[in-house]
Amino acid sequence: MKKYVTKRVLMGVLTIFVVFSINFLIIRLAPGSPISTIMGKDNDDPILRAALEAKYGFDQPLILQYFIYLKNAVTGDLGLSIIYNKEVLAIIAERLVPTLLLVLTAALLAVVIGTFMGMYAAKHEGSRVDVFFSGISYIFNSMPAFWLGLILIIIFSSVFGLLPSYGMISSRTTLTGVDYYLDVLKHMILPVSTLVLVEIPIYFRIAKSSIVQTLNEDFIVTLKATGMSERKIFNKYVLRNAILPTITIFGISMGYLITGVALIEIVFAWPGTGDLMLTAINQRDYPTLMGIYLIMSVSVALVMVIVDIIYATLDPRIRF
Amino acid sequence: MVTTKKGWYVGRKNNNKLNRTLLKVKSDTELKFGLIGLSLLVFVAVFASLLVPFDPYFFGPDVLNKLGENQHILGTNHLGQDIFSMILYGVRTSLMVAVGSALISAVIGILVGGIAGYFGGKIDLVITECINAFMMVPTFFLILLIIALFDSSITNVMIVIGLTTWPSNAKLIRAQALSIRERTYVKSAVAMGETNLQILFKYIIPNGIFPVLANTTIGMSNAILTEAGLSFLGLGDPNVISWGQMIFMGKQYLTSAWWISTFAGIAIVFTVTVFYLLGDGLNHVLDPKHKSRKDA
Repeated sequence: MKKYVTKRVLMGVLTIFVVFSINFLIIRLAPGSPISTIMGKDNDDPILRAALEAKYGFDQPLILQYFIYLKNAVTGDLGLSIIYNKEVLAIIAERLVPTLLLVLTAALLAVVIGTFMGMYAAKHEGSRVDVFFSGISYIFNSMPAFWLGLILIIIFSSVFGLLPSYGMISSRTTLTGVDYYLDVLKHMILPVSTLVLVEIPIYFRIAKSSIVQTLNEDFIVTLKATGMSERKIFNKYVLRNAILPTITIFGISMGYLITGVALIEIVFAWPGTGDLMLTAINQRDYPTLMGIYLIMSVSVALVMVIVDIIYATLDPRIRF
Repeated sequence: MVTTKKGWYVGRKNNNKLNRTLLKVKSDTELKFGLIGLSLLVFVAVFASLLVPFDPYFFGPDVLNKLGENQHILGTNHLGQDIFSMILYGVRTSLMVAVGSALISAVIGILVGGIAGYFGGKIDLVITECINAFMMVPTFFLILLIIALFDSSITNVMIVIGLTTWPSNAKLIRAQALSIRERTYVKSAVAMGETNLQILFKYIIPNGIFPVLANTTIGMSNAILTEAGLSFLGLGDPNVISWGQMIFMGKQYLTSAWWISTFAGIAIVFTVTVFYLLGDGLNHVLDPKHKSRKDA
């Protein structure tokens, strides 16, 4: 077990290393140099250029530059945002809470609803409900999440006027206490629903297929032959074996959610990292963009390693 | 059927195999619907210029027309372009992105995975660890970053999607290569003195390619969704008509002209579903386990 955990953690570190390297490579290959940006368009003083290059370490060999970059990033120095002129890390940290609020709520709801739907469909394989669930899961799986968000806005905000379509809190109001949280909750309904709807098919399919597969295993037939009740077999043996793939998928889909939520935030003008990202793209604020990418990659790697370790503790077959 | 194939009948009894495959295609609902959908898409892509009622690049005087107004079946956008014609032209863009990126992804994946699986040992170890590390990198963000920094032409989008999605293909073909290289026909090829390269391209890759095929169709749907996502962020190629860009443009007119975004999205959902169905169908047909479960 210890060996496995060490291996997974090393893997995670390697991934982050790969991300850093890709990041560095992209910065170096990208057109335009940051020195020219700082110097301005009309200034072409070679002495100033040399001084600036020395200040930011551009006169060093590439390998050394890479290590400087690595050292800075590890110590949390992701540079300054060109637009806000603030530490990139600080800007991202400000926006992280609203994003996490969406991601975690949606992930939990999706895994619960999707798994229950899968369980029901597996128990009643071939029934009308199963066919309906399977068909609809195909369609929702094929939907661009941002488009679904727009459609929900058309239906619930534009046509029925039931729910707010943008932001996290109502503007021009100062709410406190319970009212404030209720207001946030109301604003959360549409973005969370969008994420949940596109995530459900993933959990539905994995839960259904693994339960169906487990039901066909020899040991289940044996248990049935001993006369144990169907319900007991299902709850005690089938579910325990069939739920494992869901955990793996949870890790993968969290990775997807962490990055995919950006588009949803843009649709609903949710004040999270996605919104920040869009501004960064439009203003060509590369340090911020890079910073978001790094933070996202690190969190995805972290989530995947944690999920793998949880999986290993639950499934004794993995431990070696 | 790959798993039961013996070396001496590679290339023979092809007729029999073809018949069996056709029979399976007929019996698999997903594959059947997928193939029908694909034919429709290809048909539209090829004959788009003949099928469109209006020139989709024409900025007409009919601005923000409703459905059916002035013969615009699905209305027009804020520049007076006919939505229905734009959607038909969008098929070309989507299919191009899908096929182009899938090809790049498949070629790299097959080469890297094939080499890792066939040679094994230290080469395999290094490549596998790299693949695992790559699989944990959030792809959409990486693609977005590259497109934002460099250039957002449709060719570039295609190449970047291809370059970032190969690891899953590599993983699949590696697993295949690991088992195929132990087969008698590969061993006899080694004994006959065929070079590693010959064995790799003549036996390992052709026999292990099927899972990659199914994975590639699923990769195609993801490529279409990725292109749509990029376009939605305003990182699309302004020179082509793409569904993602239509949704992006329609976003500003969501309350007054809902049809701009809505129908482009439906087109995406349809196309992506077709590729998912194809992928699942191929998986069913190519995976002998699936069949036996249904029979049981």
